Amino acid sequence: MTAASERDLVLQVVDLQKRYAGGNLAIERISIDARRGEFVSIVGPSGAGKTTLLKTICGLLAPTSGRVVLDGRPVTAPPPEMVLVFQDYARSLFPWLSVTSNVAFPLRKKRLSASEKRRLVDEALDAVGLHDCASRYPWQLSGGMQQRVAIARAVAFRPEILLLDEPFASVDALTRADLEDLTLRLRDEFGITMLLVTHDIDEAVYLSDRVFVLSKPPSVIVAEIAVPLPLPRDQERTRSDALFLTLRNQVHRLIGAHAASTEDADPLAPERIPAR
Amino acid sequence: MRVRRLLGVVTIVVLLAIWEIVARAKANIYVPPPSQIATTFVQQWFSPAFGHDAVPSLWRLLAGYAIAAVLGVAIGIAIGVSVPLYRTLDPLLQVLRALPPTAVIPAGILVLGIGDAMKVAVIAFGAIWPILVNSVDGAHAVARERLDTARNFGLGRGETILFVIVPSALPQVFAGLRIGLALAFIMIVISEMVGGSNGLGYAILSAQRTFSIPEMYAGIVLLAILGFALNALFSLVERRVLAWHVGATEAAR
Repeated sequence: MTAASERDLVLQVVDLQKRYAGGNLAIERISIDARRGEFVSIVGPSGAGKTTLLKTICGLLAPTSGRVVLDGRPVTAPPPEMVLVFQDYARSLFPWLSVTSNVAFPLRKKRLSASEKRRLVDEALDAVGLHDCASRYPWQLSGGMQQRVAIARAVAFRPEILLLDEPFASVDALTRADLEDLTLRLRDEFGITMLLVTHDIDEAVYLSDRVFVLSKPPSVIVAEIAVPLPLPRDQERTRSDALFLTLRNQVHRLIGAHAASTEDADPLAPERIPAR
Repeated sequence: MRVRRLLGVVTIVVLLAIWEIVARAKANIYVPPPSQIATTFVQQWFSPAFGHDAVPSLWRLLAGYAIAAVLGVAIGIAIGVSVPLYRTLDPLLQVLRALPPTAVIPAGILVLGIGDAMKVAVIAFGAIWPILVNSVDGAHAVARERLDTARNFGLGRGETILFVIVPSALPQVFAGLRIGLALAFIMIVISEMVGGSNGLGYAILSAQRTFSIPEMYAGIVLLAILGFALNALFSLVERRVLAWHVGATEAAR
Protein backbone atom coordinates (compact mmCIF):
# COMPACT_ATOMS: atom_id res chain seq x y z
CA MET A 1 0.00 0.00 0.00
CA THR A 2 1.42 3.37 -0.92
CA ALA A 3 1.90 6.18 1.57
CA ALA A 4 -0.76 8.32 -0.12
CA SER A 5 -3.52 5.74 0.17
CA GLU A 6 -2.44 4.97 3.74
CA ARG A 7 -3.09 8.59 4.67
CA ASP A 8 -6.38 8.35 2.83
CA LEU A 9 -7.64 5.63 5.15
CA VAL A 10 -10.00 7.16 7.66
CA LEU A 11 -10.76 3.86 9.37
CA GLN A 12 -8.71 0.72 9.83
CA VAL A 13 -9.94 -2.35 11.68
CA VAL A 14 -7.04 -4.70 12.30
CA ASP A 15 -7.42 -8.34 13.34
CA LEU A 16 -10.46 -7.54 15.45
CA GLN A 17 -11.70 -10.37 17.64
CA LYS A 18 -14.72 -10.23 19.94
CA ARG A 19 -15.69 -12.84 22.47
CA TYR A 20 -18.90 -12.33 24.43
CA ALA A 21 -18.79 -12.27 28.23
CA GLY A 22 -20.38 -15.74 28.16
CA GLY A 23 -17.36 -17.09 26.28
CA ASN A 24 -18.94 -17.40 22.81
CA LEU A 25 -16.78 -16.19 19.98
CA ALA A 26 -18.82 -13.68 17.95
CA ILE A 27 -16.04 -12.41 15.71
CA GLU A 28 -13.10 -14.67 14.91
CA ARG A 29 -10.91 -12.17 13.16
CA ILE A 30 -11.88 -9.24 10.98
CA SER A 31 -9.76 -6.69 9.17
CA ILE A 32 -11.42 -4.00 7.10
CA ASP A 33 -10.71 -0.42 6.16
CA ALA A 34 -12.46 2.58 4.66
CA ARG A 35 -11.13 5.49 2.66
CA ARG A 36 -12.38 9.01 3.23
CA GLY A 37 -15.77 9.48 1.59
CA GLU A 38 -16.02 5.84 0.65
CA PHE A 39 -19.21 3.80 0.94
CA VAL A 40 -18.31 0.42 2.41
CA SER A 41 -20.76 -2.37 3.19
CA ILE A 42 -20.40 -5.44 5.31
CA VAL A 43 -22.89 -8.04 4.22
CA GLY A 44 -23.47 -11.32 5.98
CA PRO A 45 -26.10 -13.82 7.10
CA SER A 46 -28.37 -13.16 10.09
CA GLY A 47 -26.63 -13.71 13.39
CA ALA A 48 -23.19 -13.07 11.92
CA GLY A 49 -22.35 -10.64 14.71
CA LYS A 50 -22.83 -7.58 12.50
CA THR A 51 -24.22 -5.34 15.24
CA THR A 52 -21.47 -6.48 17.60
CA LEU A 53 -18.92 -5.61 14.93
CA LEU A 54 -20.27 -2.06 14.48
CA LYS A 55 -20.53 -1.46 18.23
CA THR A 56 -16.95 -2.63 18.66
CA ILE A 57 -15.76 -0.41 15.81
CA CYS A 58 -17.33 2.69 17.31
CA GLY A 59 -15.99 1.99 20.79
CA LEU A 60 -19.23 1.01 22.52
CA LEU A 61 -17.80 -2.47 23.08
CA ALA A 62 -14.16 -3.25 23.79
CA PRO A 63 -12.52 -5.73 21.38
CA THR A 64 -11.14 -8.95 22.86
CA SER A 65 -8.10 -8.45 20.68
CA GLY A 66 -7.11 -6.44 17.64
CA ARG A 67 -7.61 -2.73 17.21
CA VAL A 68 -9.64 -0.01 15.55
CA VAL A 69 -7.75 2.96 14.21
CA LEU A 70 -9.51 6.20 13.31
CA ASP A 71 -7.47 8.90 11.54
CA GLY A 72 -4.34 7.16 12.78
CA ARG A 73 -5.45 7.11 16.45
CA PRO A 74 -6.59 3.96 18.24
CA VAL A 75 -10.24 3.95 19.34
CA THR A 76 -10.73 3.14 23.03
CA ALA A 77 -13.97 5.01 23.76
CA PRO A 78 -16.71 6.29 21.44
CA PRO A 79 -15.01 9.05 19.42
CA PRO A 80 -17.04 12.07 18.28
CA GLU A 81 -16.00 11.36 14.68
CA MET A 82 -18.16 8.23 14.48
CA VAL A 83 -21.93 7.99 14.90
CA LEU A 84 -23.93 4.79 14.89
CA VAL A 85 -27.43 4.73 13.37
CA PHE A 86 -29.46 1.86 14.80
CA GLN A 87 -31.99 -0.32 13.02
CA ASP A 88 -34.59 0.33 15.72
CA TYR A 89 -35.25 4.06 15.37
CA ALA A 90 -38.17 3.85 17.83
CA ARG A 91 -35.73 2.90 20.56
CA SER A 92 -32.84 5.16 19.64
CA LEU A 93 -34.91 8.36 19.25
CA PHE A 94 -36.18 10.17 22.32
CA PRO A 95 -40.01 10.21 22.26
CA TRP A 96 -40.22 13.06 24.79
CA LEU A 97 -38.35 15.42 22.46
CA SER A 98 -39.61 17.05 19.27
CA VAL A 99 -37.87 16.29 15.98
CA THR A 100 -35.79 19.48 16.28
CA SER A 101 -34.81 18.72 19.86
CA ASN A 102 -33.88 15.16 18.93
CA VAL A 103 -31.61 16.42 16.18
CA ALA A 104 -30.14 19.10 18.46
CA PHE A 105 -29.70 16.67 21.35
CA PRO A 106 -26.09 15.56 20.70
CA LEU A 107 -24.98 19.16 20.02
CA ARG A 108 -25.14 19.91 23.75
CA LYS A 109 -21.70 18.28 23.88
CA LYS A 110 -20.27 20.61 21.26
CA ARG A 111 -19.11 24.03 22.32
CA LEU A 112 -20.97 26.03 19.74
CA SER A 113 -22.99 29.21 19.79
CA ALA A 114 -26.77 28.90 19.77
CA SER A 115 -26.97 30.23 16.21
CA GLU A 116 -24.32 27.79 15.05
CA LYS A 117 -26.27 24.91 16.60
CA ARG A 118 -29.42 26.15 14.93
CA ARG A 119 -27.68 26.20 11.59
CA LEU A 120 -26.42 22.62 12.01
CA VAL A 121 -29.90 21.41 12.96
CA ASP A 122 -31.55 23.27 10.07
CA GLU A 123 -29.01 21.94 7.59
CA ALA A 124 -29.46 18.38 8.82
CA LEU A 125 -33.26 18.63 8.68
CA ASP A 126 -33.08 20.11 5.19
CA ALA A 127 -30.70 17.39 4.05
CA VAL A 128 -33.12 14.63 5.05
CA GLY A 129 -36.19 16.57 3.86
CA LEU A 130 -37.85 16.93 7.26
CA HIS A 131 -38.01 20.68 7.65
CA ASP A 132 -41.80 20.69 7.70
CA CYS A 133 -41.91 18.17 10.56
CA ALA A 134 -39.45 19.99 12.81
CA SER A 135 -41.91 20.72 15.62
CA ARG A 136 -43.59 17.31 15.59
CA TYR A 137 -42.71 14.31 17.72
CA PRO A 138 -41.01 11.19 16.33
CA TRP A 139 -43.98 8.96 17.13
CA GLN A 140 -46.21 11.20 15.01
CA LEU A 141 -44.15 10.25 11.96
CA SER A 142 -43.99 7.15 9.77
CA GLY A 143 -41.18 4.64 10.26
CA GLY A 144 -39.20 5.91 7.29
CA MET A 145 -39.47 9.51 8.51
CA GLN A 146 -38.39 8.47 12.00
CA GLN A 147 -35.28 6.89 10.54
CA ARG A 148 -34.69 10.17 8.70
CA VAL A 149 -34.77 11.92 12.08
CA ALA A 150 -32.17 9.49 13.42
CA ILE A 151 -30.02 10.11 10.34
CA ALA A 152 -30.43 13.89 10.67
CA ARG A 153 -29.39 13.67 14.31
CA ALA A 154 -26.25 11.82 13.24
CA VAL A 155 -25.51 14.26 10.40
CA ALA A 156 -25.97 17.33 12.63
CA PHE A 157 -23.19 15.96 14.82
CA ARG A 158 -20.91 16.21 11.75
CA PRO A 159 -19.18 12.85 12.05
CA GLU A 160 -16.48 11.69 9.65
CA ILE A 161 -17.98 8.22 9.56
CA LEU A 162 -21.57 7.11 9.78
CA LEU A 163 -22.00 3.52 10.94
CA LEU A 164 -25.33 2.20 9.68
CA ASP A 165 -26.66 -0.92 11.40
CA GLU A 166 -29.33 -2.37 9.07
CA PRO A 167 -30.94 1.07 9.08
CA PHE A 168 -33.57 0.26 6.46
CA ALA A 169 -34.60 -3.20 7.63
CA SER A 170 -37.85 -2.04 9.28
CA VAL A 171 -39.32 0.10 6.48
CA ASP A 172 -41.27 -0.76 3.33
CA ALA A 173 -39.57 -1.24 -0.03
CA LEU A 174 -40.33 2.21 -1.54
CA THR A 175 -39.24 4.05 1.59
CA ARG A 176 -36.20 1.85 1.64
CA ALA A 177 -35.14 2.92 -1.85
CA ASP A 178 -35.65 6.58 -0.85
CA LEU A 179 -33.51 6.18 2.25
CA GLU A 180 -30.79 4.38 0.29
CA ASP A 181 -30.55 7.27 -2.12
CA LEU A 182 -30.61 9.69 0.81
CA THR A 183 -27.48 8.10 2.29
CA LEU A 184 -25.74 8.36 -1.07
CA ARG A 185 -26.66 12.06 -1.27
CA LEU A 186 -25.44 12.69 2.28
CA ARG A 187 -22.14 11.03 1.45
CA ASP A 188 -21.70 13.41 -1.49
CA GLU A 189 -23.05 16.50 0.25
CA PHE A 190 -21.19 16.19 3.54
CA GLY A 191 -18.29 13.96 2.51
CA ILE A 192 -19.20 11.46 5.22
CA THR A 193 -17.66 8.00 5.01
CA MET A 194 -20.39 5.38 5.21
CA LEU A 195 -19.98 1.97 6.78
CA LEU A 196 -23.16 -0.05 6.29
CA VAL A 197 -23.96 -3.40 7.79
CA THR A 198 -26.78 -5.32 6.10
CA HIS A 199 -28.04 -8.76 5.18
CA ASP A 200 -29.49 -7.38 1.95
CA ILE A 201 -27.06 -8.25 -0.83
CA ASP A 202 -28.66 -6.01 -3.48
CA GLU A 203 -28.64 -3.05 -1.13
CA ALA A 204 -24.96 -3.58 -0.31
CA VAL A 205 -23.96 -3.78 -3.97
CA TYR A 206 -26.19 -0.86 -5.02
CA LEU A 207 -24.81 1.52 -2.41
CA SER A 208 -21.20 0.55 -2.04
CA ASP A 209 -17.80 1.23 -3.47
CA ARG A 210 -16.58 -1.93 -1.74
CA VAL A 211 -18.39 -4.86 -0.14
CA PHE A 212 -16.97 -7.11 2.56
CA VAL A 213 -18.64 -10.51 2.81
CA LEU A 214 -18.97 -11.93 6.29
CA SER A 215 -19.20 -15.63 7.21
CA LYS A 216 -21.63 -17.03 9.75
CA PRO A 217 -20.31 -16.74 13.33
CA PRO A 218 -17.65 -16.85 14.55
CA SER A 219 -17.30 -14.27 11.80
CA VAL A 220 -14.46 -13.77 9.40
CA ILE A 221 -14.27 -11.80 6.17
CA VAL A 222 -14.61 -14.30 3.33
CA ALA A 223 -14.25 -11.85 0.47
CA GLU A 224 -13.66 -8.22 -0.38
CA ILE A 225 -15.35 -7.12 -3.56
CA ALA A 226 -14.85 -3.83 -5.36
CA VAL A 227 -17.99 -2.36 -6.94
CA PRO A 228 -16.97 -0.25 -9.93
CA LEU A 229 -20.54 0.63 -10.91
CA PRO A 230 -20.81 4.16 -12.35
CA LEU A 231 -21.79 7.09 -10.10
CA PRO A 232 -24.25 8.54 -9.38
CA ARG A 233 -26.20 5.38 -8.70
CA ASP A 234 -29.78 5.16 -9.88
CA GLN A 235 -32.31 2.67 -8.55
CA GLU A 236 -33.51 1.62 -11.99
CA ARG A 237 -30.41 2.00 -14.12
CA THR A 238 -27.86 0.66 -11.64
CA ARG A 239 -29.91 -2.33 -10.61
CA SER A 240 -30.42 -3.42 -14.24
CA ASP A 241 -26.72 -3.02 -15.08
CA ALA A 242 -25.17 -6.36 -16.11
CA LEU A 243 -22.25 -5.76 -13.74
CA PHE A 244 -24.67 -5.20 -10.83
CA LEU A 245 -26.22 -8.60 -11.49
CA THR A 246 -22.82 -10.29 -11.78
CA LEU A 247 -21.65 -8.78 -8.51
CA ARG A 248 -24.81 -9.53 -6.54
CA ASN A 249 -24.73 -13.15 -7.77
CA GLN A 250 -21.12 -13.41 -6.75
CA VAL A 251 -21.88 -12.13 -3.24
CA HIS A 252 -24.89 -14.41 -3.07
CA ARG A 253 -22.78 -17.48 -3.89
CA LEU A 254 -20.13 -16.51 -1.35
CA ILE A 255 -22.66 -16.05 1.44
CA GLY A 256 -24.46 -19.26 0.50
CA ALA A 257 -21.21 -21.25 0.49
CA HIS A 258 -19.96 -19.83 3.78
CA ALA A 259 -23.27 -19.89 5.55
CA ALA A 260 -23.67 -23.59 4.77
CA SER A 261 -20.21 -24.67 5.79
CA THR A 262 -17.06 -22.92 6.83
CA GLU A 263 -14.95 -26.07 7.12
CA ASP A 264 -13.85 -26.31 3.51
CA ALA A 265 -12.51 -22.78 3.33
CA ASP A 266 -9.65 -21.35 5.31
CA PRO A 267 -11.54 -18.74 7.30
CA LEU A 268 -8.52 -16.55 7.84
CA ALA A 269 -7.67 -16.16 4.19
CA PRO A 270 -10.27 -13.93 2.49
CA GLU A 271 -10.59 -14.20 -1.24
CA ARG A 272 -9.71 -11.03 -3.01
CA ILE A 273 -11.80 -10.61 -6.05
CA PRO A 274 -10.54 -8.05 -8.50
CA ALA A 275 -13.01 -5.81 -10.21
CA ARG A 276 -13.63 -7.24 -13.66
CA MET B 1 -67.25 10.42 25.81
CA ARG B 2 -69.88 12.79 27.14
CA VAL B 3 -72.56 10.07 27.04
CA ARG B 4 -70.25 7.67 28.88
CA ARG B 5 -69.58 10.22 31.62
CA LEU B 6 -73.30 10.93 31.94
CA LEU B 7 -73.95 7.22 32.34
CA GLY B 8 -71.49 7.08 35.26
CA VAL B 9 -73.27 9.95 37.01
CA VAL B 10 -76.64 8.28 36.45
CA THR B 11 -75.35 5.11 38.16
CA ILE B 12 -74.37 7.08 41.27
CA VAL B 13 -77.69 8.93 41.37
CA VAL B 14 -79.70 5.70 40.98
CA LEU B 15 -77.74 3.96 43.76
CA LEU B 16 -78.23 6.94 46.09
CA ALA B 17 -81.96 6.94 45.29
CA ILE B 18 -82.24 3.21 46.13
CA TRP B 19 -80.32 3.81 49.36
CA GLU B 20 -82.60 6.72 50.23
CA ILE B 21 -85.77 4.65 49.66
CA VAL B 22 -84.54 1.56 51.53
CA ALA B 23 -83.14 3.59 54.46
CA ARG B 24 -86.40 5.50 54.88
CA ALA B 25 -88.49 2.32 54.68
CA LYS B 26 -86.35 0.35 57.19
CA ALA B 27 -85.50 3.31 59.50
CA ASN B 28 -82.28 1.75 60.79
CA ILE B 29 -80.40 4.41 62.84
CA TYR B 30 -77.04 2.91 61.84
CA VAL B 31 -77.74 3.52 58.15
CA PRO B 32 -79.23 7.01 57.74
CA PRO B 33 -80.60 8.06 54.34
CA PRO B 34 -78.26 10.01 52.02
CA SER B 35 -80.39 13.17 52.36
CA GLN B 36 -79.70 13.24 56.10
CA ILE B 37 -75.97 12.57 55.54
CA ALA B 38 -75.90 15.41 53.01
CA THR B 39 -77.47 17.84 55.47
CA THR B 40 -75.02 16.81 58.19
CA PHE B 41 -72.17 17.03 55.69
CA VAL B 42 -72.96 20.67 54.94
CA GLN B 43 -73.40 21.57 58.62
CA GLN B 44 -70.25 19.76 59.70
CA TRP B 45 -67.74 20.55 57.00
CA PHE B 46 -68.78 24.06 55.95
CA SER B 47 -67.65 25.07 59.45
CA PRO B 48 -64.44 25.48 61.50
CA ALA B 49 -64.37 21.67 61.80
CA PHE B 50 -62.92 21.61 58.27
CA GLY B 51 -59.89 23.53 59.49
CA HIS B 52 -59.71 21.42 62.63
CA ASP B 53 -59.89 17.97 60.99
CA ALA B 54 -59.61 18.07 57.22
CA VAL B 55 -56.75 20.58 56.93
CA PRO B 56 -54.39 18.70 59.31
CA SER B 57 -55.13 15.45 57.46
CA LEU B 58 -54.34 17.02 54.10
CA TRP B 59 -51.23 18.67 55.44
CA ARG B 60 -49.89 15.37 56.87
CA LEU B 61 -50.84 13.53 53.72
CA LEU B 62 -49.00 15.98 51.46
CA ALA B 63 -45.93 16.13 53.73
CA GLY B 64 -45.66 12.35 53.97
CA TYR B 65 -46.36 11.88 50.28
CA ALA B 66 -43.82 14.54 49.25
CA ILE B 67 -41.13 12.84 51.34
CA ALA B 68 -42.03 9.47 49.81
CA ALA B 69 -42.02 10.90 46.28
CA VAL B 70 -38.68 12.72 46.56
CA LEU B 71 -36.86 9.89 48.36
CA GLY B 72 -38.55 7.14 46.36
CA VAL B 73 -37.71 8.61 42.96
CA ALA B 74 -34.16 9.69 43.90
CA ILE B 75 -33.18 6.43 45.60
CA GLY B 76 -35.07 4.35 43.02
CA ILE B 77 -33.26 5.94 40.06
CA ALA B 78 -29.92 5.57 41.87
CA ILE B 79 -30.55 1.85 42.46
CA GLY B 80 -31.89 1.36 38.94
CA VAL B 81 -28.81 2.77 37.22
CA SER B 82 -26.25 1.01 39.39
CA VAL B 83 -25.82 -2.72 38.84
CA PRO B 84 -24.08 -3.34 42.21
CA LEU B 85 -26.72 -1.36 44.12
CA TYR B 86 -29.47 -3.16 42.23
CA ARG B 87 -28.06 -6.59 43.03
CA THR B 88 -27.49 -5.65 46.67
CA LEU B 89 -30.79 -3.95 47.41
CA ASP B 90 -33.42 -5.40 45.09
CA PRO B 91 -34.17 -8.50 47.28
CA LEU B 92 -34.57 -6.24 50.32
CA LEU B 93 -36.98 -3.99 48.39
CA GLN B 94 -39.03 -6.99 47.32
CA VAL B 95 -39.43 -8.01 50.98
CA LEU B 96 -40.27 -4.52 52.24
CA ARG B 97 -42.79 -3.77 49.49
CA ALA B 98 -44.64 -6.98 50.39
CA LEU B 99 -45.05 -5.83 54.00
CA PRO B 100 -48.49 -4.30 54.66
CA PRO B 101 -47.44 -0.75 55.66
CA THR B 102 -50.12 -0.51 58.35
CA ALA B 103 -48.14 -3.10 60.29
CA VAL B 104 -45.43 -0.57 61.12
CA ILE B 105 -47.79 1.88 62.84
CA PRO B 106 -47.33 0.32 66.34
CA ALA B 107 -43.56 0.55 65.91
CA GLY B 108 -43.96 4.13 64.67
CA ILE B 109 -45.92 5.05 67.80
CA LEU B 110 -43.23 3.49 70.03
CA VAL B 111 -40.43 5.39 68.36
CA LEU B 112 -42.09 8.70 67.45
CA GLY B 113 -45.15 8.94 69.75
CA ILE B 114 -48.64 9.67 68.44
CA GLY B 115 -47.96 13.16 67.10
CA ASP B 116 -47.57 14.54 63.58
CA ALA B 117 -44.05 13.14 63.21
CA MET B 118 -45.34 9.58 63.52
CA LYS B 119 -48.18 10.18 61.09
CA VAL B 120 -46.03 11.85 58.45
CA ALA B 121 -43.43 9.11 58.87
CA VAL B 122 -45.86 6.20 58.47
CA ILE B 123 -47.52 7.87 55.47
CA ALA B 124 -44.11 8.28 53.87
CA PHE B 125 -43.26 4.67 54.73
CA GLY B 126 -46.52 3.40 53.28
CA ALA B 127 -46.28 5.38 50.06
CA ILE B 128 -42.58 4.99 49.28
CA TRP B 129 -42.39 1.33 48.23
CA PRO B 130 -44.37 1.38 44.99
CA ILE B 131 -42.65 4.65 44.04
CA LEU B 132 -39.24 3.21 44.81
CA VAL B 133 -39.79 -0.15 43.12
CA ASN B 134 -41.28 1.43 39.98
CA SER B 135 -38.46 3.97 39.75
CA VAL B 136 -35.92 1.16 40.08
CA ASP B 137 -37.61 -0.83 37.31
CA GLY B 138 -38.04 2.21 35.06
CA ALA B 139 -34.41 3.25 35.35
CA HIS B 140 -33.20 -0.33 35.04
CA ALA B 141 -35.15 -1.14 31.89
CA VAL B 142 -34.05 1.71 29.58
CA ALA B 143 -33.57 0.41 26.02
CA ARG B 144 -29.96 -0.54 25.23
CA GLU B 145 -30.09 1.58 22.05
CA ARG B 146 -30.93 4.69 24.05
CA LEU B 147 -27.99 4.23 26.39
CA ASP B 148 -25.70 3.42 23.47
CA THR B 149 -26.90 6.57 21.69
CA ALA B 150 -26.05 8.66 24.74
CA ARG B 151 -22.57 7.13 25.00
CA ASN B 152 -22.04 7.42 21.27
CA PHE B 153 -22.69 11.16 21.47
CA GLY B 154 -20.24 11.49 24.36
CA LEU B 155 -22.68 12.13 27.21
CA GLY B 156 -21.23 11.56 30.68
CA ARG B 157 -22.85 9.46 33.38
CA GLY B 158 -24.68 12.37 35.01
CA GLU B 159 -25.99 13.73 31.73
CA THR B 160 -27.12 10.28 30.64
CA ILE B 161 -29.08 9.83 33.87
CA LEU B 162 -30.61 13.30 33.72
CA PHE B 163 -31.43 13.56 30.02
CA VAL B 164 -31.98 9.94 28.99
CA ILE B 165 -32.66 7.60 31.92
CA VAL B 166 -34.97 9.83 33.98
CA PRO B 167 -37.27 10.77 31.06
CA SER B 168 -37.32 7.14 29.89
CA ALA B 169 -38.32 6.00 33.38
CA LEU B 170 -41.00 8.69 33.89
CA PRO B 171 -44.03 6.66 32.75
CA GLN B 172 -43.19 3.96 35.27
CA VAL B 173 -42.30 6.49 37.94
CA PHE B 174 -45.76 8.01 37.55
CA ALA B 175 -47.40 4.58 37.81
CA GLY B 176 -45.61 4.19 41.15
CA LEU B 177 -46.57 7.69 42.29
CA ARG B 178 -50.23 6.94 41.61
CA ILE B 179 -50.20 3.75 43.72
CA GLY B 180 -48.22 5.61 46.38
CA LEU B 181 -50.89 8.31 46.57
CA ALA B 182 -53.61 5.72 47.19
CA LEU B 183 -51.51 4.10 49.92
CA ALA B 184 -50.75 7.48 51.52
CA PHE B 185 -54.49 8.06 51.72
CA ILE B 186 -55.03 4.76 53.52
CA MET B 187 -52.14 5.46 55.89
CA ILE B 188 -53.39 8.90 56.94
CA VAL B 189 -56.83 7.56 57.91
CA ILE B 190 -55.47 4.61 59.87
CA SER B 191 -52.72 6.55 61.61
CA GLU B 192 -55.27 9.14 62.77
CA MET B 193 -57.65 6.43 63.97
CA VAL B 194 -54.91 4.75 65.98
CA GLY B 195 -53.54 7.81 67.68
CA GLY B 196 -54.28 11.50 67.74
CA SER B 197 -56.72 14.24 68.64
CA ASN B 198 -57.70 15.60 65.25
CA GLY B 199 -57.82 14.69 61.59
CA LEU B 200 -60.43 12.98 59.44
CA GLY B 201 -59.58 9.47 60.63
CA TYR B 202 -59.94 10.62 64.21
CA ALA B 203 -63.19 12.50 63.45
CA ILE B 204 -64.80 9.45 61.81
CA LEU B 205 -63.85 7.11 64.62
CA SER B 206 -64.89 9.48 67.43
CA ALA B 207 -68.23 10.15 65.68
CA GLN B 208 -68.84 6.40 65.62
CA ARG B 209 -67.92 6.07 69.32
CA THR B 210 -70.28 8.89 70.33
CA PHE B 211 -73.11 7.51 68.18
CA SER B 212 -73.03 10.58 65.90
CA ILE B 213 -73.90 8.27 63.02
CA PRO B 214 -74.65 10.87 60.28
CA GLU B 215 -71.43 12.71 61.25
CA MET B 216 -69.48 9.48 60.79
CA TYR B 217 -70.90 9.07 57.29
CA ALA B 218 -70.30 12.73 56.52
CA GLY B 219 -66.61 12.16 57.35
CA ILE B 220 -66.48 9.13 55.05
CA VAL B 221 -68.09 11.15 52.25
CA LEU B 222 -65.54 13.94 52.69
CA LEU B 223 -62.73 11.37 52.43
CA ALA B 224 -64.23 10.02 49.23
CA ILE B 225 -64.47 13.50 47.74
CA LEU B 226 -60.91 14.42 48.76
CA GLY B 227 -59.59 11.13 47.40
CA PHE B 228 -61.37 11.68 44.12
CA ALA B 229 -60.11 15.27 43.86
CA LEU B 230 -56.49 14.35 44.61
CA ASN B 231 -56.58 11.56 42.07
CA ALA B 232 -58.05 13.93 39.47
CA LEU B 233 -55.32 16.47 40.23
CA PHE B 234 -52.72 13.74 39.88
CA SER B 235 -54.12 12.69 36.50
CA LEU B 236 -54.00 16.30 35.35
CA VAL B 237 -50.31 16.61 36.21
CA GLU B 238 -49.56 13.20 34.71
CA ARG B 239 -51.28 14.05 31.44
CA ARG B 240 -49.20 17.22 31.17
CA VAL B 241 -45.84 15.70 32.06
CA LEU B 242 -46.40 12.50 30.08
CA ALA B 243 -48.22 13.98 27.07
CA TRP B 244 -45.52 12.48 24.83
CA HIS B 245 -45.99 9.06 26.39
CA VAL B 246 -49.77 9.11 25.96
CA GLY B 247 -49.31 10.13 22.32
CA ALA B 248 -46.61 7.55 21.65
CA THR B 249 -48.67 4.76 23.22
CA GLU B 250 -51.71 5.70 21.17
CA ALA B 251 -49.60 5.92 18.00
CA ALA B 252 -48.24 2.43 18.62
CA ARG B 253 -51.74 0.97 18.70
